[in-house]
Order: sequence, then C-alpha cells, then structure tokens
Amino acid sequence: MISDARFKMIAVVAALAGSLSAGYAASESASPALASPESFAGISETEKRSAAIFTELGKVLTNPRCTNCHPAGDRPHQGDNPRLHQPPVSRGADGHGLEAMRCNSCHQKANFEPGRMPGHPDWHLAPREMAWEGKTIGEICEQIRDPARNGGRKVEDLIDHIGKDTLVGWAWKPGFGRSPAPGTQEQAGALVEAWVKTGAACPAP
Amino acid sequence: MRPSRREFVKWLSAGGISVSLSHLASATGVPFAAHETLPGRGKFNPATKGAGRVDGVAKVTGAKLYASDFRANDLPGWPQTTSHAILVRANDAAHVYTGLDLGRLGGALKPSVVVTAADLDRIGTQVPEFYAGDLFCPPGKTPLYLGQPVALLIFEKFDAFDQARLALRDGTFVQFGEETGPVVVPDYGAFRFTRVAGPSPDKPDVYSPLQAGWVSPKKVQSAALPVWSPLAKEMPADYAKAAKHGEQIRAELAADDASMLVLDREFETQSVDPMFLEPECGLAWYDGKGGNLELLLGVQSPYEAAESIAHLFGKARAPYKPAHINAQFAHVGGGFGGRDHTPFILYVALAAVCFPGKPVRLAHDRYQQFQGGIKRHAIKMRSRIGIDRATGKIKAFAADHVLDGGGLAHFSASVAVVAATGAIGIYDIPKVDVRTVAVHSRGVSAGSMRGYGILQAMTALEVLIDEAASELKRDPIEFRRRNALPQNGRTMTGNPYIVSVRTPEILDKLEKHPIWQQRAQFRQTSSDRLVGTGVACVTKDYGSGADGSLGRVELAPDGRIVIYCDHVEMGNGIGTALANRVAGHLGAVADEVSVARVDSYDVLGLVTSGDPSSIDQKTQDAAERNPRWVPAISSPTSSSIGAHVGTHSAAEAARVIFRFGLWPAALELWRIPRTDPRARQWASASWQNGQLTMPGLEMAGLEPLALPVLAATAHARGFVTGAVAHSFSRWAWSRARFPLLGEQYRADIDALAIRKGKGKFERINRASVKFPPTDNNRIGTAYTSMCGTVVRVEIERATGALRIAKAYSVFECGTALVPEVVMGQAQGGFAMGVGYALLETLPPFEGGPGNGEWNLGRYLVARGSDLPLRDLEIEMLKPQTADEAPKGMAEVVMIPIVPALINAIHDATGHRFRALPVTASLLKGVLA
Amino acid sequence: MTTLSLTINGQKHGPMDVRDDLSMNDFLREMLGMTGTKFGCGAAQCLSCAIIVDAPDGSSTTSPTCVAPAVSFDGKSIRTVEGHAQGGQLSVLQQAFINHFAFQCGYCTAGFLGEGQVLLERLARAPVPREALERTIADALDGHLCRCTGYIKYQEAMRDVILADSNRYLIAAK
Repeated sequence: MISDARFKMIAVVAALAGSLSAGYAASESASPALASPESFAGISETEKRSAAIFTELGKVLTNPRCTNCHPAGDRPHQGDNPRLHQPPVSRGADGHGLEAMRCNSCHQKANFEPGRMPGHPDWHLAPREMAWEGKTIGEICEQIRDPARNGGRKVEDLIDHIGKDTLVGWAWKPGFGRSPAPGTQEQAGALVEAWVKTGAACPAP
Repeated sequence: MRPSRREFVKWLSAGGISVSLSHLASATGVPFAAHETLPGRGKFNPATKGAGRVDGVAKVTGAKLYASDFRANDLPGWPQTTSHAILVRANDAAHVYTGLDLGRLGGALKPSVVVTAADLDRIGTQVPEFYAGDLFCPPGKTPLYLGQPVALLIFEKFDAFDQARLALRDGTFVQFGEETGPVVVPDYGAFRFTRVAGPSPDKPDVYSPLQAGWVSPKKVQSAALPVWSPLAKEMPADYAKAAKHGEQIRAELAADDASMLVLDREFETQSVDPMFLEPECGLAWYDGKGGNLELLLGVQSPYEAAESIAHLFGKARAPYKPAHINAQFAHVGGGFGGRDHTPFILYVALAAVCFPGKPVRLAHDRYQQFQGGIKRHAIKMRSRIGIDRATGKIKAFAADHVLDGGGLAHFSASVAVVAATGAIGIYDIPKVDVRTVAVHSRGVSAGSMRGYGILQAMTALEVLIDEAASELKRDPIEFRRRNALPQNGRTMTGNPYIVSVRTPEILDKLEKHPIWQQRAQFRQTSSDRLVGTGVACVTKDYGSGADGSLGRVELAPDGRIVIYCDHVEMGNGIGTALANRVAGHLGAVADEVSVARVDSYDVLGLVTSGDPSSIDQKTQDAAERNPRWVPAISSPTSSSIGAHVGTHSAAEAARVIFRFGLWPAALELWRIPRTDPRARQWASASWQNGQLTMPGLEMAGLEPLALPVLAATAHARGFVTGAVAHSFSRWAWSRARFPLLGEQYRADIDALAIRKGKGKFERINRASVKFPPTDNNRIGTAYTSMCGTVVRVEIERATGALRIAKAYSVFECGTALVPEVVMGQAQGGFAMGVGYALLETLPPFEGGPGNGEWNLGRYLVARGSDLPLRDLEIEMLKPQTADEAPKGMAEVVMIPIVPALINAIHDATGHRFRALPVTASLLKGVLA
Repeated sequence: MTTLSLTINGQKHGPMDVRDDLSMNDFLREMLGMTGTKFGCGAAQCLSCAIIVDAPDGSSTTSPTCVAPAVSFDGKSIRTVEGHAQGGQLSVLQQAFINHFAFQCGYCTAGFLGEGQVLLERLARAPVPREALERTIADALDGHLCRCTGYIKYQEAMRDVILADSNRYLIAAK
C-alpha cells in the first residue's frame, strides 16, 4: 500500500444529513400493518366476523414480542427468532425472577438503547397459565377469554389491557435489534374492542 | 517446507525502526511494568505456600492488569486524555464496497480523523506477509471477507465516540454497490502425508515424510481444490512419489476384500469463536514527527506484535514513520490461541500514527469481537479405514480434509498440517494417506485456536473408531488398545514420539472406571429418558517445532528472587509455574514474577535470520558460527508450550545461579574445600523446608543452609547471583557449552549471561553449540500428551435436552508444575469441549459473525448448568519418573469429551451424528 | 444530562452531570477509572460487569453495569471489586477464590466475587438447608460466564466458605 501521493488525513466532510434518531429508525424493521375492524365488515355472519377479527389480532399475540414472555415453560425467550433467554433466568415465585436474578436487575424502567436492553417498570413473565408459546390462534383465543387463564379478567377488560397497558405497549417500541409487533397498540386495542363487541368468538383451534 | 507458525521479520532492524519492549522512564506515578509484575515487592504472595497464584491478589482485588484496564492517564509521562477509535468492518463480501456514509455523525459526533485504504497508500504502510491482504478494503473492491476492516474512525473525546458508536451500530452506513459474488483467492496450502511402513516395526519404512520430506501438489490456480493425482501434468516429482503410494493405499481400501472391514465416512465440524472474555483492545500514542510510537497491548505473541508493527511502518514516509517503537504487554483476559498473531494490533498502531500527539484506544465490543476475531477452522473430513476382521488390526487409513480458512491465510496452512499429521490419533497404522487443503473463503478469518486442527480430526476419528468397533462387534476399549501406538512406534510422519506414550495406561483407567463398567445397567434406549455411555482416547501435540523462550532470574543478597519471562500470562498460570520451577533450583518461590517481558535480555545481544521452520542445514551451520545467533528469539505463548518451553529458560538460568552461585557459597559456609570430592556433588544436594542439604551432611557435623544466608554469601564473594538464558526447541533442545568460571558448562540453552555479586550482567559467548537438525522440520510432532474420557449422558426424548450425568477424564502431563492450575485447565478444557460438541456454532458466511450482530445470546458457551459440576472426575497421572519434564496439556484436555459425547449419544439414541454441534433441537429431530 | 450522586465502596461520588445514555460500565471505567469492573459482552449475558447494589433495607443484589444507564444508580450505594478487601485485608471469599485457584485469566472474577458475596449475605439473613446448598450456589452463579475454569473451583470455593461457617449460612439439621 505504498504510493507517491502525499499523505493527508481525511476529515469528515459529510456533516449535514442525518441525526442520531435517523440511526435508530433505520435499525428497526418496519412493522407490518394490522387490518382495521372495519375491513372485516364484509363478513356478514357475526361469529365468523368476530373470529376473523381475532385471527387478525393473533398476528400480534403470536409475535415474538408477546410470546417470548408468555412462554410455555419457566424460562422466557429472546429475539426475533425466539431463543431461550441468556443468561438463564426462571420465572420464580412471582414471575419476576429468582432471588439471585430478578428481572429488574437488568431490565430498567425503560429501554436502555446503548445496552440494547429492553425495559419497563413492571418487566416480568406472564403467569404460567397464560402461556401462548407454541399455541394456535384458536387455542390462544379460548385461553384469553377464560378468566381462569387470563388473570381473572372479563373479556371487556382485555380492551384496555391490550390497548392501553404500558407493558403490553412495549411490544410496539421494543428498541434496537427487535422488530415491533404488527400495527400499533391502538389498532390492536381497536381489534380487541371489535372482537368483544361481536361476541368474542374464537377461530377454530 | 513446514508452514511457519511465525512470519520471518528481522528484529531490531525493520526498515530502520528500532524496537524495544522496555518501559517508559517513569517521572511520576506507577510505571506500567510495576502493575504487571506480581505480586509486587513486599506484597503477599499466595504462591509461596502453594496456596494460590502469584497473580491471585491482583485478580481478586480488581487491580489494573489487563490491557483493557489502562487509559493514557494511568501511564506516567503520557498525555492525560485518551482518544477513542472505532474500527469499521464490512458486513458484506459479495458486493462492491463503495464507501462510508457518515452523514449521521453531525456536529460534535464528527470524527476527528477517518483512516481508509487511501491513507495507507499515502503513509506507505506495508502489510506483514502473515496478514497479506488489504488492511482496509478500498472503495471499488469487493471485501476479501466478511468483517474486513474498511476504516478507522477516531474521536478525540470519549463522549463523541460513545454516541457515535451508538449511531453507527446498525452497519447500514457501510455502503455497497454491484453484486460480484465472493472474491476468489488461491488456497492457503495443500499437503499430502503418506506413510507405508516396512514389513515389521523394526524395519525401516518403505516411504515416509521423514525420509522423503513433505510434499504438496502443483498449485492449479483455476481449480477450487487441488488436483491430487500423481499423473497430473507438471506434478513435482517428490509429490508424485508420495501420491503413487497414497493412491495405492486408496485402491486397497476400495478393493472388494471380504477379510477387511472398510468404513468410508464423512464428518463436518463448525466454525467457533475462542470467546475469551476480555475483548481485544490496545492503547497507543505516537508523538508524531518521526519520534516514539508507544503501545500497550495484550496478546499471546508479544514479540511478533512488535515485529509486525515495525514492519508495517518500515517503509512509511515522514512524518508517519516512527523512529522508535516501544511496546508493553499486559496480562491477557483469556487467549485460547485467538490472540496469537492477531491483526488487531496493526489497527491500534495505525490509529495512533494517524492521530499524532494523542493517545488512542481501540477496543472491540463483543459484537465486533465476533465480527473480527480469529475463529476456529471448520473442517470437512472424509475418512476411510480398513480393518482386518480376523485380527481386529487397522491396516490402512486414508483421509481428505478441507479447511475453511476464512479471509486471511493466518495459520491455516499450519493448522491443516497439524490436523493431517495427527489424523490417526493414538493408533498404529502401517499405511496412511492424508490429503489436506486449507482454502480461502469470505468467512471471518480462521487461525490459531486451542485444539488447532487436532480437535476436529480426533473427533472424526474417534467417532469412526467407535463405529468400527461396533461393526466388528469388538469392545471399544479393547479395540483401541489392540491398535494403540506403542512407546517407540512410528507416527505417520515416520518418527517416534520422544516423550512418554501412556495410552495403554489411560485405556486401562477408562475401562476400569465405574461409568464404563456400569454402562450396560444404566443404558436406556426406549423410555422417555434415553441413557448412553461413550468413550474416546486422544493424543495432542504440544510445541510448534520451532519454539524459543527467554528467562532472567535475579537473586538479591537477602534471598529475594525476581523472574522475568517473555511468555504471556493468559490464565495459564505461567507466572506461578515459573516461580515453582525456579524454586526447584533456588529453594524459594519468587517474590516477583514479570511475564510477557521482551525487554530484559538485551545483554544476550541475540540475532536471528531465516525461518526456523524451513531453514536448511547448511544455512543453519553457517549462521551458528555467530555466538549470538539463534534460530528464533521468542515464541508466542501457544501450542501448549507454557510449561515445557515457556518456563525452560528461567529454570535453566536458575540452575546456573545454583551451580555457580549458591553451591560455591554453600561449600564455603560448610568449609568444604574445592578439592574435596563432595565439592562435585551438587547434583545430590536438595532443598528441604527452605534449607539446602545433601546426603551425609549431618554425619559430617554440618548444618543445612537457608537461602538468605547463601544469597548473602554469593553476593559477598562475587559468585553468580543472576542469569539470563535463551533456549530453542525443534523437537529437541539446543545444547551449548559455555566457559564459565574456569569450567566448561553444558546445558540445554544456546545463550547465557551472568551477573556476579552486585556486578552487571555480562554475556558468556558459547564455545560450541548443537542446534537440533533442520531435518527435524519433517517431523509432524515428537511431543505429545494423551487424554481419555468416558461420559454418560441422559437425553429427554420429548425435548432432546441432554444432561451429562457423569464424566471421567484421565490425562498425563509429565511433571505438573502447578497441579492446581493443571486441574483447573483440565476442568476448563472439558467445559470448552462440551460447548464445542453441543452448543457453539457460527454460520460461516452471511448471517454469521461477520455481520456484526453476534453476541452471547445467540452464541452459546457452556455455563455451569450445562456441566456436571459435581459429577466430573478428573485424574492426572503421576509423572513416570520423578524428573520427567513437564508436558503441554492445555489443549488435549478439551478434546476427548467431544467424540465421547457423540459416541454416548449414539449409544443412547442409535443415531450417529456426523456434524457438530449436536444441539437439543437436532436431538429432538432424530428422536421424533 | 442528569445529575448523579452515588456511594461507591462507602465513598460518596457526585453530584456530577452525566449523559443519560452513558452506561454505568463506562461511568465506572471511563469516568472514574475504576476498571476492576469488567466489560465482557455489553449485553448482560456474561455478567463480568456485575456490581453489588446495597438496598436501604440491608439487602443486596447484583446488577450488570453494561446495560444500565449510570443515572439509574442515582442515590444508590454500590460495591465494586475494588471495595471487597477492607483495610488491606482480603474478604473471606477473595481468600477462598485464591486458595482454590478458582480463576485463571481472572477476567470474570469480579463478577463471580460480587455474586458470591451477595449470596453469602443472603444466606446469612435467610439460611438454607444443607441439601439445598449445591443448587443454591449453582443457581446464583449460573448467569456468570467463565471461559477458562469450567466453574468447578468457583463452586468449591463458595461451598467451602459456607460449610466453614455453617451455623451462619445453613439451617441446622434436625
């Protein structure tokens, strides 16, 4: 690499375009949209419409942003290609981890971008009876409307839980390196509401 | 002939740059060397009572010790502020690199300097041959490999650096154009090792690499893989001769012969990362104007690092050519081979030279370490083995290896040779033919890593042997014993090992172990939980065939001992091993041990020339007439040579101090005249409880003597109180004669200096020297250690989850210098083997670590919960004789668990896996 | 920028202004020069960067520093590896790690020490039965990666410290 050209350091010239936020934005893959409740108006049979709406909502519920922390076992998953959480953690008695490793020792009150660490004040695992991992949308539907397996909620309560809960809302703002859940939380909430209002019917399991 | 483990670069004269590895004159503050000298004068030394390592206290108190611990303001005489650099790498190697878009780094985040390929042209850098390839991919070219650097960005202040690295981490600012496909590069080396034994073991071989030399086929630039046929056009005669024997062996294996069992099997191993815990980093400061370049690095190969950096700037233009390079070396946070000859250091030096006046730190984070760090070779192996059914004796073995060397040649040819020449493991096979080639690919560069080809070859072999035993309905251990190479048998290069071969003993131990004895009663192949047992026994070379070390020992009047050594402490316990080995001669554990020191031996005035691995006898004979010439000055701490070579020179220096310092002092204190026959009985003297004694002492009414008394006397009388020694091994030590205090002193060293009393060190020119013959370069290895493992696994049918229920490893290592460290390394080797067999894997190309997105969530190394922490038994065989030399063991201990696990999995599931790693999901797949 | 005050190894630091996106690891290593706390993966997967956080109620936990902002430690009291020895006297656990040759390269040692120390203090408050000891140690240390040792000697050092003072750390056998 020897040439006769005179050595000259290159100062950066391109100081104009871009910003930090542009950097972040570029790193998050765009989330696919969710169909609106209205788009199901063509299904005349209410029960079928209701089931179809839930199937649409299922795109959210079966997304890794949700299933990773609604695992089948005691250990959450990580990433867009869900793999077991590293380091190994376990739900513990309260879903917030074992005594030696609590969720909040790493997961702070909010995402910490430099560490690519997701966060929320109430970061924890969904209870075991709310496991969604490996289930069909129909099975999740049956489960989610069963108070014994949905945290004692009425189906109406799910509108706010999915549409407004901030931990659920994290799924749409998951930080660098993780794809957000489809659509927006608001759209997901609207789907839940439409599903409830149409009788909360479930797709075939 | 032999692919060198180190590139040849002339020391001290690279392009007129003087090189030193000394310490900055300390105006104020604690000099770097004081941090790295342990435990430190007057400080508690756990090693003195055998209750810890010399670096123990430093490591549990968080003392500044590793290269990553130092900033400019920690170093006396340096400017106070540290600048920071980012090494930007290509995450694509199939499209043309078009440049960087740094638009997102506006305002305060603007780098102070951007260094690219164009700057290298302007500076006039020259890439050391070992790292041949563009240091930075120039715009307009397709990157040579995934992870090839494209630029260095340097930021004066930490805050700008910290925020810029965040802004850049998605990698999208590295831009690419047209698709070209990967760059095509000729292979890194192709070799054929063929041996045909004589009619009986006492007869000479019909053909062997030792007799005929090592051979390679003609390089065919247009073909991806070599043409191996002896009949091909323009094939070199020496190759054609080997190849005719080789093809004959292959024809015999292919023949339809009912009396022989012939198995023809493939096995594939994966790319893995050494995953040392301290990512690579370095600190450098160039004063500009052709002055000093100061470096602080952490590598396994300090000498090579300094040489390569000197070479890099050897023809640089002013003001970018330093007049002097001063490199200092820190303790290393894990190496495993991955820090031996690392190109990373070149970029550290470049960063400083391109930002004169400012100390610059370059440090990988883990994503970058995965993207740019040296990897283990993935190897595709096809093996054919022929066994006489009646006798159960292996008659012939043929194999083909293809190693994926990744983007830079690095040690690929050397790894290929080691894997090939080790391919028959512990066995005695009269006809062997192994063809091997290391190829370039667009993957991240592969190079040196613990196991060095043997890990891969042993795994394929021991799985094959297990299958053969099963086909023959022979007991797997009995079958191994029947075919094991005896002590004086010839290896496949045609030479015998010159160290102990304890395979039978190890096989006996494995056979008698309860895990093996109870294998039938524990076996389950039909329930929800499958249980199986597997065994393997392997051998692994140590030493590279051209290894040197430097040692300096000083004894103070009060008996304090200080040791300097050029080898590196990377956790291997070399500091403690040095202290113990020197204590054997001087009766006490050193107060201070300074490792990775290449600056303390100037008095020897050593010079070198040629490549020790390929030099011819005539050249060596001519060179050795200069009493200061040696074949190699210093070696990387690699290939498990720490105990055997690394400590050798210091031990020999201590021997000189004893013989010409403490012994004459003792004679004086005992009032034994020089004419008394007892005056010649130094060899029978010994240290007991810190006191020097000899047989018959008490009968003569004399008292044992303590070291401080002897040291004081030696100082007062002007006897030898310090020594510096150099040693070299090419499967045998250099041996020289020195005129010393009226005697002709012979030892396994080739350079010596001594200090008398409080005087200065003076070189003693050797009167004669015998370097190991250059033909020894035809030996594959003459040093080897054995290890065997038996393991019982439990596999959950539903999930494929595997649990190691119990395991036992047994190995030999001659005399263990620090038995606790040896056991620790054996436990750690087992863990690394488990990770390699069951967990660790990196996709070779796109989607692999070269994309800069890999970290420990995806790349799984063994944790405590993956290991049988309370059910692993490790046995270290006692040395065969009280004075057996230490043998390298750090690599062999990680190997047999790998094939033993695969064999145990077969026992449990009936499925023979032929690729690594065997993950839970693969197991689940075959159990479905 | 946020104002940060905290106590490290009993010594008060701050108030000082730090960037909100500065990691605790860089705060310790780059701002304070306290490099005993290591940087291994930057993703809370190896835990070589873990420190001890002491809660006002007397309990303590470990926390990785690479994935947490420095400002999240405002008002907190932490211990790092530099603070385990008191008055030049090594802690029992430090001494045990040395005596057991528990580490090799030593880069993971600070993390293991912090985790082990927290476990000892937890057991002193809430002892476990002897039969639960191995599991308790294994669970506590499992998040920490070590590439050199195979973990056995760390485990043994912990066990020995606990068994040597079993009245303190273990529930007496009935």
